[in-house]
Amino acid sequence: MKLIISALGACTLLTVSSLAQAEVAVIVNTGASSAPTQSDVANIFLGKDNSFKAVDQSSWNPTKDKFYSAVTNKNEAQLKSYWSGVIFTGKGQPLPSVADDGAVIARVSSQADAIGYVDKSTVNDKVKVLFTLP
Amino acid sequence: MISTRVLSIAALCVASSPAFALDQGDYRFNGFGTLGVTHLGGADDSHGYGVTGQTTDHWRGDQLSKLGGQVQYGITNTVGLTAQAIIKPQQDEWQGNLEWLYLSWQATDKLKFRAGRLGGSAYMYSDTLNIGFTNPWIRLPDEVYSQVQISNYEGADFIYTEPLSFGSLTVQMSGGVANNRKLFVLDKLYDADYKNYFAANATLAVNDFGSLRISYAETDVTSNDHAVVSTPFGMVDQTIIKLDSTHTAFTSLGYQYDNGVWVSSDELTHRSIDGASPIDAMYFMAGRRFGDFLAHVTYGQMKDDSGHENSWTYGLNYNVSPSVVIKGEFKRVDTHGGTSGVFVKTPQETVNNILFAQSAGAFGTPSRNFEGDIISIGVDFVF
Repeated sequence: MKLIISALGACTLLTVSSLAQAEVAVIVNTGASSAPTQSDVANIFLGKDNSFKAVDQSSWNPTKDKFYSAVTNKNEAQLKSYWSGVIFTGKGQPLPSVADDGAVIARVSSQADAIGYVDKSTVNDKVKVLFTLP
Repeated sequence: MISTRVLSIAALCVASSPAFALDQGDYRFNGFGTLGVTHLGGADDSHGYGVTGQTTDHWRGDQLSKLGGQVQYGITNTVGLTAQAIIKPQQDEWQGNLEWLYLSWQATDKLKFRAGRLGGSAYMYSDTLNIGFTNPWIRLPDEVYSQVQISNYEGADFIYTEPLSFGSLTVQMSGGVANNRKLFVLDKLYDADYKNYFAANATLAVNDFGSLRISYAETDVTSNDHAVVSTPFGMVDQTIIKLDSTHTAFTSLGYQYDNGVWVSSDELTHRSIDGASPIDAMYFMAGRRFGDFLAHVTYGQMKDDSGHENSWTYGLNYNVSPSVVIKGEFKRVDTHGGTSGVFVKTPQETVNNILFAQSAGAFGTPSRNFEGDIISIGVDFVF
């Protein structure tokens, strides 16, 4: 029993560790008309640029953490604070969000102007990678 | 089968999540609040401190505490209705105010028009004046944030946002009136009307270098305030302030920087009222995050013809969760040159000081300096 718990613990650690180390890919539709830069992506995911429709991830996972800290310099609390400012000033609404990487890929692959971020290992040929965050 | 399910879940999630602009028939409710107490120590002769004088030598919650709710409703895909109500104590009494009630029209991706009761925009933190959660302090620097007392007006504005390759530029212009508002003068709230309100501001946000904001606001204020005071000639109904469509203007230059670890927030302001001494005020804040903690220090100053006030504030914030932050601050304030700064000064003391100056010391009492230590502790939250 103890062995199983240890094995499960090790497995969990391994998963968390591999998730924390995973590369993040910023993806767009294969038919996207332009290729936003990292600066453009920051504006899109902070609600300042509507040229692309951002698809956010609803829960704060390692992929989301890495994406926002690399692209916008914001952690979960800082992002919450930023959006509170936007919402309570009536200047915007939070971004649409989906459950996980698979849902982001499904959404981006079906909408020409959608943009999202996922764990690089989940990317398939239905979407185009704009850039990756190591 | 599995991919169908994934797609269905994805579609459901997107459908149930709020869009950037609310779709027709969608609504959204958000709330925010602050529970905080504040105390003024080491100022035995003072009658209080702060924009409405509610920081005194008793632990009081009415300077900082508030509870607000906001409802947004999508009338069409581009036209929405927003209402924001706030309950907060004012001079020992809890009062509910309809802070905002307006219609908005997202004309293009970059341009939004709004009309109704809207929030003012004079300060760098005007947008989030009541949303303590988004501000680094539990009490905004009093030297600057005590000068413009209207938080909303009836009128219209537009907000234009231009994404740039290196950041973004936002421009806002607004105009309207604010009648039947309150104006805190010396130690009391008086009625005031603000006509011909006009404001404009521009914010340039540069990636990795922070954001710079410049703002201008002007209005014509009417407020006639009296108090009965004792003089060598008997009791007199003294005019405290007489503003008759008096032109006032306020300019603010602000800068914010936040790279996730280091934080800075700075603002310089200038207020002018026709016939009165102009006031220059400023604050400079620097802070550093240590995980869920933010330690910060702020220097504040305000200056008019009679003297100046300066203060040092030391604060520590702790994010209990992404939506809740506990804040504690210690502020040391001193005035120089005989000004009261943001300290409360009674009409009687004000008249005594004027009599002293005008009679070459034969009557009244000389102006004095004020000092105090302010402790503020509380929790800010959003939901």
